[in-house]
Amino acid sequence: MSILTYNGSAMVAMKGDECVSIATDKRFGIQAHTVSMDFPKVFEMGPHLYLGLPGLATDIATVYEKLRFRKNLFELRENRQMSPQIFGAMVSNMLYEKRFGPFFVEPMIAGLHPQTFKPYICNMDLIGCRNEPVDFVTGGSASAQLFGMCESLWEPNMGPDDLFETTSQALVNAFDRDAISGWGATVYIIEKDKVTTRELKTRMD
Amino acid sequence: MFNTVDAYSAPPLWKNGPSPCAFHNFPGTNCENNDFTQHSQAPVTTATSVIAFTFNTGVIIGGDLLASYGSLARYRNCPRVMKVNDNIIMGAGGDYADFQYVKDLVDQKIIEEDCLDDGFKLKPRSLYCWLTRIMYNRRSRFDPFWNNFVVGGIQEGLPFLGTVDKLGTAYEDNAICTGYGAHLALPLIRDALEKNPLMSEEEAKALLTKCMEVLFYRDARSYPKYQIGVITDDGVKIEGPLEVSQKWDLAHMIH
Amino acid sequence: MASVVPRPHYPDYSTAAPVNHHFSPYADNGGSIVAIAGDDYVVIGGDTRLSTGFQIYTRQQSKLFSLSKTTVLGCAGCWCDTLTLTRLLSARMQMYEQEHNKVMSTPAAAQMLSTVLYYKRFFPYYISNMLVGLDNDGKGCVYSYDPIGHCERSNYRAGGSAGALLQPLLDNQVGMKNMQNIKDESIPLERALAIIKDVFVSAAERDIYTGDGIHINIITKDGIKSDSFPLRKD
Repeated sequence: MSILTYNGSAMVAMKGDECVSIATDKRFGIQAHTVSMDFPKVFEMGPHLYLGLPGLATDIATVYEKLRFRKNLFELRENRQMSPQIFGAMVSNMLYEKRFGPFFVEPMIAGLHPQTFKPYICNMDLIGCRNEPVDFVTGGSASAQLFGMCESLWEPNMGPDDLFETTSQALVNAFDRDAISGWGATVYIIEKDKVTTRELKTRMD
Repeated sequence: MFNTVDAYSAPPLWKNGPSPCAFHNFPGTNCENNDFTQHSQAPVTTATSVIAFTFNTGVIIGGDLLASYGSLARYRNCPRVMKVNDNIIMGAGGDYADFQYVKDLVDQKIIEEDCLDDGFKLKPRSLYCWLTRIMYNRRSRFDPFWNNFVVGGIQEGLPFLGTVDKLGTAYEDNAICTGYGAHLALPLIRDALEKNPLMSEEEAKALLTKCMEVLFYRDARSYPKYQIGVITDDGVKIEGPLEVSQKWDLAHMIH
Repeated sequence: MASVVPRPHYPDYSTAAPVNHHFSPYADNGGSIVAIAGDDYVVIGGDTRLSTGFQIYTRQQSKLFSLSKTTVLGCAGCWCDTLTLTRLLSARMQMYEQEHNKVMSTPAAAQMLSTVLYYKRFFPYYISNMLVGLDNDGKGCVYSYDPIGHCERSNYRAGGSAGALLQPLLDNQVGMKNMQNIKDESIPLERALAIIKDVFVSAAERDIYTGDGIHINIITKDGIKSDSFPLRKD
């Protein structure tokens, strides 16, 4: 078993029309043993900037704290907000610093540009190889299932309501076929003037 | 024969010779337990790619004449494109000894069939299916024939081309190449067949010649002398040895 | 054929360095199978790519094998095992027919497949099998297996290299999972065919072992109808 799937997770981010979504499951387990069902894996890094960290739980906490520190330092030094593109570059750079002893997380970023509000999503592997597609990114132990779901459900220029429905259906159906993720989900829809957070009730087995 | 040494000790004084720090075992005195079947053999004397495809009225198979011993070009006149009977031609790659063994089985099969004298002749699809079983049987005993076989022929008036590998993996297609041919020649053939699905025998021969040339320049285990086998309604022809027309006056421009 | 004698080992003829082939009796030849059953029909689709690693052997290899007029088997995985298993099964089908003077029913064939697979429990056929047909009441049924003979009957299933990608999609689109205010009724044949084509298009996008085309078998009381559909070839 890969160390990346030691705790289990399912995460997806999608681009819509002037909005982006990011959604995650809530399970924290140790291999097949479920420990808790409210484990946060998606973090608010700014008003329009969300960071998802699927992977090894201990590294999720570490990487989140390190990134929060670096981002705050950037904003204090530069006195401006970090765009998701720059944040992505920073995450990628930080992961590559540990090229030969990596953090076991495969981060994904979803956000809107602070000035132009252009949607942005990206994900990367555990050593920071970045991927910036036009449609969606997936991660975690259910990523294969998510690819199958997203590849047929996603369509261009979805509004926030469609985007929420598509993201939720993709995530919930995907992790229902993965034994080590699920147990509830959180979906964030990021729009220009509001961020909607919804908790999904799902089957708990 | 001699004590083998591990990676941390000094190497043998000469190849397969005694090592400075080991006891000498005289040949024939070792009482190792020989009561085992050796699993997973490796190929020893090997032949490289086989190139084959169907054309308008038949099938063409090509293979060079080299049998290599590792990187050594050891035997330079080893034919491996063979006529099986008036319906079938066959090409082989991989271990040459295994090929000769299987060839003997096939030849014996044909002799036995001729002895029946009932007018029936083995058809290509039957030989292909039979080879599949031979290869699968040996892979299941963990003692495979280390070969790729390509069977060509005419069945029910249509060209037939199929292949079997050392596991018994078998499929039919209109273009089949093994080894480096799968990387270097198969794209050329698929492209040519797509542009000209009803290729004549002459065009097919020209294409095969081109493929052998490309393979000779880039496959280090290949050889300029080769044979081609053609089967059409007119019968079987095994031609060769043919020679790749070499052109090295460009070589000094490549760095 | 000659029986296998233990091979002698000649150390003088063993080369030291580069030849270190290890032999594996299995190969992963990829391929995906999807099946959907309805009240009076069952459809099964399999892609036509036969590959190993980054090499495509052929783009036109059907992975569907009809065992009788109402039973079709779809196989993905190790192709040499598939060839052997399907030959063994068709022989067993013929033996049954000649012994009992009737064609084996789909549920009986399903049980036989499970037994045949388990018979090789410690040197398994490395195949993801899917057996479909009409049961004794004329209802469509899908039986899916693991390589050593575990068998489950269901109404829809995805298997093979893109099985993980497609199964949740079928749960959603065919099983109506995670949907509210939906009547639980089986889907019509046209919808099942559309879903199969759609899911294979999605699988071909993300799975390199699935592509080139699909072969579809539609089984009704009138027999087996074939259909095919092109997929991306890269």
